[in-house]
Amino acid sequence: MAGTGVLLEAGILFTAVAVAGALAWRLGQSVIPAYILAGVLLGPNSPVPPLRVVETSEFVTLLQELGVVLLLFFIGLHFSPSSLLERRQSVLRAGVLDLGLNASVGFVAGLLLGFTLLEAVVLSGVVYISSSAIITKSLIELGWIADPEAESILGVLVFEDLVIAVYLAVVAAVVLSGEGLTETATAVGISVGFVGLLAILAFYGTGLVERALDVRSDELFLLRIVGAAALIGGVALALGVSEAVAAFFLGAAVGGTEHAARVERVITSERDLYAAVFFFAIGLGTDPGTFGAVALPVLALAVVSTASKLASGYLGGRAYGLSERRSVRMALAMVARGEFSLVLAALAVQADMDPTLSALAVGYVLVMSVLGTALMGQSARIETLARRAGLGEPLAAEGERAA
Amino acid sequence: MTVYETDVPGIGKKFELDLGGSARAVVLLHHDGRVEVFRRESPDADSEKVFDLTQGQANRLGSILEGAYFEAVSTEELSVPLGDAIIEWVDIDEDSAVAGRTLAESDLRNVSGVSVIAVQRGEETVPNPDAEFRIEPGDILVAIGTREQQAVFAERCR
Repeated sequence: MAGTGVLLEAGILFTAVAVAGALAWRLGQSVIPAYILAGVLLGPNSPVPPLRVVETSEFVTLLQELGVVLLLFFIGLHFSPSSLLERRQSVLRAGVLDLGLNASVGFVAGLLLGFTLLEAVVLSGVVYISSSAIITKSLIELGWIADPEAESILGVLVFEDLVIAVYLAVVAAVVLSGEGLTETATAVGISVGFVGLLAILAFYGTGLVERALDVRSDELFLLRIVGAAALIGGVALALGVSEAVAAFFLGAAVGGTEHAARVERVITSERDLYAAVFFFAIGLGTDPGTFGAVALPVLALAVVSTASKLASGYLGGRAYGLSERRSVRMALAMVARGEFSLVLAALAVQADMDPTLSALAVGYVLVMSVLGTALMGQSARIETLARRAGLGEPLAAEGERAA
Repeated sequence: MTVYETDVPGIGKKFELDLGGSARAVVLLHHDGRVEVFRRESPDADSEKVFDLTQGQANRLGSILEGAYFEAVSTEELSVPLGDAIIEWVDIDEDSAVAGRTLAESDLRNVSGVSVIAVQRGEETVPNPDAEFRIEPGDILVAIGTREQQAVFAERCR
């Protein structure tokens, strides 16, 4: 679209996500699937041709990139080493179980669906990672946040974040590098080195970051954060490293300082703005025509991976010493997939992988984000059913046991 | 009384306070300053939200609970008990009977039994004014005496 049309296009885009978001709120659903569907509806492959008004133009790509960077920056910001270390036994057991079970389901499904080895690895990530954004929001809305299960759920989510950061650092490098073992090895080396430097900054450079951000004006603070995030993300991409991981560790570095709460206050709205464009852009890039072809695999994957997440969530809850009823809740909570799976879908597109893979991932997230929110909302009924099935008998001895 | 403090990744901080029995108060401080307060009857029960406060409301409530809440009080209603005696601030109007007179001329102490312990005149305060001190309109007399004496005094100063 010509330069004069950019503002109009931006207006349509933001109005569309505003309407979609409002509808999702009204339905008690997560905004993520709503933004994606808005993108599908107004995108170049819209099922309603007159609505094909927004394209994946350069400005959309830019805002989408900023969305990924800020999303991951915030996930890094919330990365709390203390919540991993305080109960490391429980976190480790619940986290490894979660990783082992769900990543294998994704990997095996990828191979069964005829994807290459590398594509199957990407799908394993898509299936493994639960959505911190959707789950955290539901935890607050349902008031579970004050109950012991929230601690276990968030603990496992933090574990997942760390795993996926390391995973992205390696997988993105492999995926984005060309053919050939040497090239791949070099790319992985650069990626691990670059991410390693950022990780060192995150865990040992707290004083430095503290001083770098020490500015009274909120405006200058905002500019410094966004500048640093975009610059480091950009340098990472130029080196063939995942910008998402770079942003994650930058976020972790800031999260260790006194400025963490200020970032929440000053920059959350920027993140929300760009993240909405990211989800919308995922929709733009999705051809609903391919949904027919992936519908069956999506459903099959949804069923199997819901079962595996329920199992790992429940057993993870028990590993944390939660009662059976609270473990059922933890199982339900872990089902939602969202932003991270989509970052991986975007990576698959970037790397020119089989387009079926990204279509599958987007369809999968649409189903799992809605299902996850619904399962948490219906937990009271499900807990009753589970009790009848013999789980969560209200015994006096049950409840919070020390791990 | 134990307080348990935990970091809640992505949300803020959580404090739990034993309320006796197996009940606990759960206070959730969001990063954005919002505060949610829950009550959990027993470890197995679900937390019930008691209230949801903005940062300003939470600060106000906190100072009330701490017993450190002060509100500006109008000087017109202020009185400080000193045994039977109280201190009152009396405004002298333009048309007051004592305006323009010295304390001795106004004979306030003999008539009412009240002592003028200070006079506030604009920005300055004259402590322990002597008998020759001339009262002017706009002064505020700080007077000590019993409640009955104060009533007579206020009447005289009209």
